[in-house]
Amino acid sequence: MIGNRRLSRTVRMVLAFATALAAAFPLYWMVNTALTPSDRLFRGDQDALPDLSRAGHLLGVLTSDTPFLRWMTNSAIVAIGTSALSLIIATMAAYALSRYRFHGRGVLGFALFATQMLPEALLVVPLYSLFATLGLLNQLHGLILVNTSFAMPVAVWILKAAIDGVPYEIEESARVDGAGPLTVLRIVVVPVVTPALAAAAVITFFDGWNEYLFATTFMQDADRWVASTGLASFIGEYSTPLDTVFSAAVLFTVPAVVFFVLVQRRIVSGLTAGSVKG
Amino acid sequence: MKTRRPPTKSRGGRVITWAPYAFAAAAAGYLLVFTAIPLLRGVQLGFTDTRLLNPVGGEGTGLHNYSKLLADSAFWSSVWTTLVYTAGTVAGSLFLGTGAALLVNRAFAGRTLARVLLTLPWAVPTVAAALLFRWIYNDQTGVANSATRALGIGAQGWLTDPSVGMIAVLGATIWKVTPLVMLVVLAALQSIPDELYESTRIDGADALSAFRAVAWPALLPTLRVVALLMTIWSFRRFEVIWLLTGGGPADATNTLVINVYRTAFSDSRLGMAAAIGVLGLVLSLAVTVVYFVAERRSERTELRAGGAA
Repeated sequence: MIGNRRLSRTVRMVLAFATALAAAFPLYWMVNTALTPSDRLFRGDQDALPDLSRAGHLLGVLTSDTPFLRWMTNSAIVAIGTSALSLIIATMAAYALSRYRFHGRGVLGFALFATQMLPEALLVVPLYSLFATLGLLNQLHGLILVNTSFAMPVAVWILKAAIDGVPYEIEESARVDGAGPLTVLRIVVVPVVTPALAAAAVITFFDGWNEYLFATTFMQDADRWVASTGLASFIGEYSTPLDTVFSAAVLFTVPAVVFFVLVQRRIVSGLTAGSVKG
Repeated sequence: MKTRRPPTKSRGGRVITWAPYAFAAAAAGYLLVFTAIPLLRGVQLGFTDTRLLNPVGGEGTGLHNYSKLLADSAFWSSVWTTLVYTAGTVAGSLFLGTGAALLVNRAFAGRTLARVLLTLPWAVPTVAAALLFRWIYNDQTGVANSATRALGIGAQGWLTDPSVGMIAVLGATIWKVTPLVMLVVLAALQSIPDELYESTRIDGADALSAFRAVAWPALLPTLRVVALLMTIWSFRRFEVIWLLTGGGPADATNTLVINVYRTAFSDSRLGMAAAIGVLGLVLSLAVTVVYFVAERRSERTELRAGGAA
């Protein structure tokens, strides 16, 4: 019996690692491609193991004649802006949805869910003309505004689930002391739901960092592009060496992966608070 | 967990109602300006013959776009492609995600590492993933063909042959979205009390029947939610498909969303594109409604079954 159980644990461990390596392989291959000289890539002569002595080459793209550093900076501005704006709006909305019954509560909840159904491709044309009217085309803050409309609803869910779990009693003493609702939210509720806020911050940051469709449609000048647009512009273009293109892909991916690994636990608890409880 | 809500009326009958409206105003206003109005404008565009070059000069054409679409076999094949893509993504990611979650649910040496590796694809930006998979699927130099050659299947034109294009796109999509399924299922598994497993073990049940008796019923509600989300996200997924194949080869991956974008920006028929988008949205809404109806019915059945037991 005990031998049997140990065997099954070993089998599970081997299976788990085989699956994990398969899942991680494409990422490994991205790094491997970035570390292989371009002429060898075109000959199809790519080794299974990367040439680590070329690791310094990864940063070469920053000084190459592509404006990649500019694009990464723009991505960072858009991602941080999207995250900050989403969190401010979402925290207040989540607090209202969690703590109060009010007219339009159901409509607001449904509208927030419905945004997950809307295809960006349908909205891109009307948004384009709206942004043209408002003078927001070709502006980084325009991208922040449009990304927030997709990122903020997700943040509301996560935060509402977290606030639902906070007992109302902890607010009462502050209220008795005469604090207004906004003060209660700021001083009592927000500190308790920090893990959920962190999860929502990361997820909305990703939305801004990864978004491509609006970025490619709204931004005309190449020096206002974000990294997703810039990276996609390498597709089907052969003047930039392939190893440089993949170095750019690695540099664009690394911040997202590092950020994700650092806060993984919080993301999971934040996400599941929303979806598992339903 | 039930929490007490603040009273909407104080004892004296004074109504304190401004707070929720003030808190919800920003989100509601935001949705109105950046989502609802553009959406209505999009729906309205669908009833016109607006062209990209003259976006304000479209004339109303009533239901013309819709009657043309419903009679067009290319539109229906795009609907079919969307359904295949969605079914493939949902089935693939739920199966693999649940499997992976079961594998890393119980402790073993190096479990944290395995878990991190399994979730990494989710963190990879979509554009980087698309670029990467274009390289992996490359006809001559791609590692996917090295693998199929080694397996004796021979090289495939992953992104050029219409008969495998969908498989290639599904492969990249499932790779990217499965970690989310795994994370959510894993959290649901961890919330199952150990005692439940213990009791089946004492009954002498093997792993499979223990899974069927304990884990499966506990997982079902979670899997249903995840399936719904994966479905509506697949209906609208654009970037992976667009950057891998652009809807090709030979329309093999021309889902409704890709169709909208191509009709708007390649054929410059904004009105027709909007009509396609609206029909896609209707499809998505229909699935959501079916889901909520089924959910309510099964909740009632579970309640009755629970009451009888």
